[in-house]
Amino acid sequence: MSSLSGNSEFASGVDRAQFALTNGRAFWRSLEELADSQAFQQWLHHQHPQFAHELTVDRRRFLKFIGASLALAGVTACSHPPQDELVPYVHSPLGQVDGLPRFFATTLVREGYAQGVLVESHMGRPTKVEGNPEHPASLGATDIFVQAAILQLWDPDRSQTVMRHTDTASWDDFAAALVQRIESCERTGGSGLRVLTGTITSPTVSAQLDSLLRRFPQARWHVHQPAGNANAYEGARLAFGAPRSTRLHLDRAKVIVSLEADFLTDSAGGVRYARDFAATRTPESTHGAISRLYVLEATPSLTGGMADHRWPLESDRIADFARRLAQRLGVALDVAGLPDARQSHWLDALVADLQANRGASLIAVGPSQPPWMHALGHVLNSALGNVGATIDYSTPVEKVPDADRGIVDLVREMRAGSVDTLLILDCNPAYDAPADLNFAEALRQVPHMVHLGLYTDETGALAEWHLPLAHQLETWSDARAYDGSASIAQPLIAPLYAGRSVLEVLAMMLEDGVRDARAIVRRQWREFFPDDAAWNEALQSGVIANTALPSVVLPVSAAALTLATPRKADDASLELLFRPDPTIGDGFWSNNGWLQELPKPLTQLTWDNPALISPQLAAQHELASGDVVELHLAGRMLRVPVWVMPGQAARSVTLHLGYGRRRAGRVGNGQGFDAYVLRASSAAWNAGGLRLQKTGDRHDLAATQHHFNVEGRDLLRVGTFAEYQRDPHFANRNNPSPTATPSLYPDYPPGEYAWGMSIDLNACIGCKVCTIACQAENNIPVVGKEQVQRGREMHWIRVDRYYEGTADNPRTYSQPVPCMMCEHAPCEVVCPVGATVHDDEGLNLQVYNRCVGTRFCSNNCPYKVRRFNFLQFTAEGETLAAQRNPEVTVRQRGVMEKCTYCIQRIETAHIEADKANRRIRDAEVLTACQAACPTQAIRFGDIADANSSVAQAKSSPRTYVMLGELNTRPRTSYLARLRNPNPALPEENA
Amino acid sequence: MSALPGDAAQPLLLAPGQTHSTVTETVSVISLHRHFGWYWLSGLAVALALCSLLLFGVGWLLRQGVGIWGINMPVAWAFAICNYVWWIGIGMGGTFISGALYLAREDWRSSINRYAEAMTVFAVAVSGIFPILHLGRPWFFYWLFPYPDVMNVWPQWRSSLEWDFFAILAYLSVSILYWYVGMIPDLATLRDRAPTLRTARFYGFLALGWRGEARQWRRFESLSLLLAGLAVPLVFSVHSMVALDFSEAAAPGWHSTIFPPFFVAGALFSGFAMVLVLGIPMRRMLGLEDYITGRHLNNLAKVMLAAGLVVTYGYFSEVFSAFYSMDRYELAVVLRRLTGAYAWTFWATIVCNVLSIQLLWFARVRSNAIVLFGIALAVLIGMWLERFMLIVTTLYQDFVPSSWGMYYPTFWDIAFLIGSMGLFLLMFLLFVRILPVVSMFELRKLVRKGEGSTA
Repeated sequence: MSSLSGNSEFASGVDRAQFALTNGRAFWRSLEELADSQAFQQWLHHQHPQFAHELTVDRRRFLKFIGASLALAGVTACSHPPQDELVPYVHSPLGQVDGLPRFFATTLVREGYAQGVLVESHMGRPTKVEGNPEHPASLGATDIFVQAAILQLWDPDRSQTVMRHTDTASWDDFAAALVQRIESCERTGGSGLRVLTGTITSPTVSAQLDSLLRRFPQARWHVHQPAGNANAYEGARLAFGAPRSTRLHLDRAKVIVSLEADFLTDSAGGVRYARDFAATRTPESTHGAISRLYVLEATPSLTGGMADHRWPLESDRIADFARRLAQRLGVALDVAGLPDARQSHWLDALVADLQANRGASLIAVGPSQPPWMHALGHVLNSALGNVGATIDYSTPVEKVPDADRGIVDLVREMRAGSVDTLLILDCNPAYDAPADLNFAEALRQVPHMVHLGLYTDETGALAEWHLPLAHQLETWSDARAYDGSASIAQPLIAPLYAGRSVLEVLAMMLEDGVRDARAIVRRQWREFFPDDAAWNEALQSGVIANTALPSVVLPVSAAALTLATPRKADDASLELLFRPDPTIGDGFWSNNGWLQELPKPLTQLTWDNPALISPQLAAQHELASGDVVELHLAGRMLRVPVWVMPGQAARSVTLHLGYGRRRAGRVGNGQGFDAYVLRASSAAWNAGGLRLQKTGDRHDLAATQHHFNVEGRDLLRVGTFAEYQRDPHFANRNNPSPTATPSLYPDYPPGEYAWGMSIDLNACIGCKVCTIACQAENNIPVVGKEQVQRGREMHWIRVDRYYEGTADNPRTYSQPVPCMMCEHAPCEVVCPVGATVHDDEGLNLQVYNRCVGTRFCSNNCPYKVRRFNFLQFTAEGETLAAQRNPEVTVRQRGVMEKCTYCIQRIETAHIEADKANRRIRDAEVLTACQAACPTQAIRFGDIADANSSVAQAKSSPRTYVMLGELNTRPRTSYLARLRNPNPALPEENA
Repeated sequence: MSALPGDAAQPLLLAPGQTHSTVTETVSVISLHRHFGWYWLSGLAVALALCSLLLFGVGWLLRQGVGIWGINMPVAWAFAICNYVWWIGIGMGGTFISGALYLAREDWRSSINRYAEAMTVFAVAVSGIFPILHLGRPWFFYWLFPYPDVMNVWPQWRSSLEWDFFAILAYLSVSILYWYVGMIPDLATLRDRAPTLRTARFYGFLALGWRGEARQWRRFESLSLLLAGLAVPLVFSVHSMVALDFSEAAAPGWHSTIFPPFFVAGALFSGFAMVLVLGIPMRRMLGLEDYITGRHLNNLAKVMLAAGLVVTYGYFSEVFSAFYSMDRYELAVVLRRLTGAYAWTFWATIVCNVLSIQLLWFARVRSNAIVLFGIALAVLIGMWLERFMLIVTTLYQDFVPSSWGMYYPTFWDIAFLIGSMGLFLLMFLLFVRILPVVSMFELRKLVRKGEGSTA
């Protein structure tokens, strides 16, 4: 764990500065003398620019400041909420009750798209993000990034002050400089003014940009989103003549074909799609059939892991397959040559299945496929009668720029010297622009560059003016969800540092009199909410009713398909695929320790991004995971370790973006390898002609799981849907879960409640949001790469992954493993001091105060769910302390810890129930993992109550317990996974 | 000891020509007058260096936490517990010699029981630091003790660790008592022969006013008998408890009923090996060959062989019962021990503990001190590796394959192992320097019985 401490860093910084300066013995008599030293001032500028500014004003005042504020840097966290009116969610009674958390509905934006959330706030201190059940993109669940946003808010490495080049400045200084820029723009009509943003769905920002372009007609707005939806919009342009947004209705689909579409982790609608998909897979609720998923992809994804038929195919050969599929479905397309026998066999089965389910099938195309493929997808869905049923279209959710307004065009203009003022709002092109553009060099041609960002990142370091961006939880804004539903973002806390929002900076440019973020948003929605009551209601519910974009019916032009054709597959050379990292995204989340340490769902790796290669390629080059190779592509080279990825298409090499950051912050700097070095603007997702060369070097990778073979143990039970129909109890046929084999110890007398959990492996997609939600809720420390390598990660709920079948194309299974809460717990009998004990409601408790740390409990835990504080993992005095959940003990070194079923939430419910003299209601207690789970795979509650949702889930014939033969009698049980393979493909049914 | 073939020329327990006064003179001179040369001083230097390493390690451990070792999830126990079991096993040698052989009236124990008992006390003391230091929060180790806590919190009596805590405490106290009581007459002898007043006061203080009266001798004899009677069951209980620390767990490879007798035999095995490893150089360097004779080495070797065969049976039985039960998890552990990542520890254990001792069937080997020394050393190494094998190969891959992991020792793991050897060596060197290494009064009894007179 890197020390994230603000104030201890200060102390050591003084030492460093002092010793660096004197190179020997030198004494300082007073703090004043020390603060005078040049080295100290330099250090101060570097580390704490906000105070350096104070220093230039008045040294004595600054020293007082140190005494009062810097030493208590963490306490700034406790600043009051903004003076503006905030509206709490209905969950909480009116008015603050000291000590009780309040929940506020707001909106978090990822890559432009909104996720409705409820943020838990303790006395003005936001600590945890939950999904908003009323928001269409969330339905109460979240993805991993939403959970991690709270850590980003409290990140002490965030940019804290306005910087002019390398000097600290103030917003007033910037405002003064901006006046000159605006004057010059007014003279020229803004011909030298360019604005660069990421994806924008915010109606307010869109309107502001429009106003800006009206005010300065010669100015231009460009979009740069490293892993955005540009291909999909271009494809819609091809098919429909105009950009359109596509929405999937997976809940209505019976046969789904994914052409490299990882819709379960889609940045816009992934959480909702996962819920809709899971709904079609639960035999208990679908009564009859469950859906069937075919996935063609080059590199394994979570969606591929859920597939009934997953066919690995190089990314550049998927178009060929799709073309043949189209031909079989009656779309007039020229297809040269014949498919190979294997593909022909697939096509026979697939076409029959699709045609049998016209109107209930769905063909999804991934953002990594070229526009032509998206157009083909629209043609196929139209041909299958799916449009309006399983898929529909709307006007673009995001603000789509004109075709020539990408970063390529911007850089061309920059090089031409026609850009005088460049405003970069919340993006980091100096790091994540395609390498062939050489953005940083082009920037030298731009006299005035202004960067607004959360961090003084690679771009911020090059800026004339760097402005700190207010975090999403610190300011007002709005955004649209995947279906267009708009929601307002309200701040949970006043900006911790001097941050301002995109809205406020654009308002400074617009000079239209309204500069306050709340007022700007309120003005935008004036027509929608003429009175405050409706406005408040929208804030309370966290979504603005009836703002989803209407479905539009569009004629598809198949003729468009002849206009452009995708690149021909080159069967001889390797292809290099660029994908956003599963946990770090495109690099935006690099400095987030939770995300860095969250094992990547498919590799279980942390803190790194090796190139994924196929087992065939590994054999050919005699490579093992961790071997360093040189990747040569179009004259550029990257040294990177490899990871042998079962199920990877033979010729495909996958690099994940987002690593190799130079200025991410103390957590993210120097981790992993910068894939952008190889990424060209012409081949953003898929580049042919890759050359791979072994170097003989090794790189240490930190994985949390090393063994992916279940060794024939029936820990994870799987059957086909046909088997399930023949015998619903198939999961217990060979190994019945014993309910009560004899034991020397008597049973515990039943208590008021009997808490239990059921995890549906058929619903679990393995996204790991449970792990990170648990981390956020339970104050679980980040231990760092080295400790993960030693096997000391602390996650209380892990998601195991097992493979079955051949390495070329294995079947992938995920299994979340929290504490089993055994009724006869092996851990309890071996603790000499009684630090782990049973309570009358069936919880297996860990008493941190009593634990002396023998670790015998962990040795005796068959499920290995216990975690030990081998070192002091929670740094003392860090500013991140403000994020911690006050209801959960922060553990000291030397004590054991583990999943508690979120006992703090159970106790809160107990208190509420006792106050009202009633029993705790079903679903009144949601564990953190359960609440966050997009597919509702986790159910929790009172198993003694036959009507509770958990008891209902456990009554399924698919229920089994892990290692039941040990007579541990776990309270956590599983529902067996079902596969639904096509009977026409018997070789894949086994 | 019953004679094995080839034992025809039994050496004597005492060299010929020994009288009361030669015995007393030779032994007391070591403590009172002997000039300890370079080998003692260099041994002391090594011991002090290793002790400093241990001390520094303990400081670092208390500051940083047990994370300085290589332990992890799933291998939450490793070197510290190996060291603990190893040292406490070594301790068994002394108690068995002085207690069990005393009760069995085996006279040959007389000249070796003193240093063997010292070895026991030191080994148990060294072993005792590990269960405490291996705790995540060692400063709370006393929570295992049932003291009247204001919160009414008691230890958890179902845990074998709790009983082990008492077993070690009882064993250590009885060992110290037995060792000390047995030394009192000899301390009085040293007091009486002390060249200076300071030395006389020192030994006089330790001798507790022993005057050699018949009444004192009578009480001494009955106390010795009582303590021997206490100590012998305690050795069995302590090693059985150590075994239960493992076999109480449900983990495959640990959950086995053979563990208690297996651990007792293993302890006897390594204990006798250590008696040989200490005795062979000591008798040469201190010129005690007249008292610790070939007959002693021969007998020690025979006991070691017998214990080693029981241990061998234990290895065999584990493999057999895994295959006999065909329990999936037991079988997996046994196969991993034989072929897995740590298989070398298993095979090295077999070489050291099973194969090397087969040489002891030959009388010529048993009479060759140098070869005996080598075999005993191999057994000590083998017994440490056996504990490592038992602990780590069970933990690193148990029920759920997703949680399997490797264990690699760190610098501090090694430092604590060799540091503990340094501490043991330091105590033993000081013992040799200050206290009577051979029991003079018991040798005098042997002389009286006619041992060593022209046979």
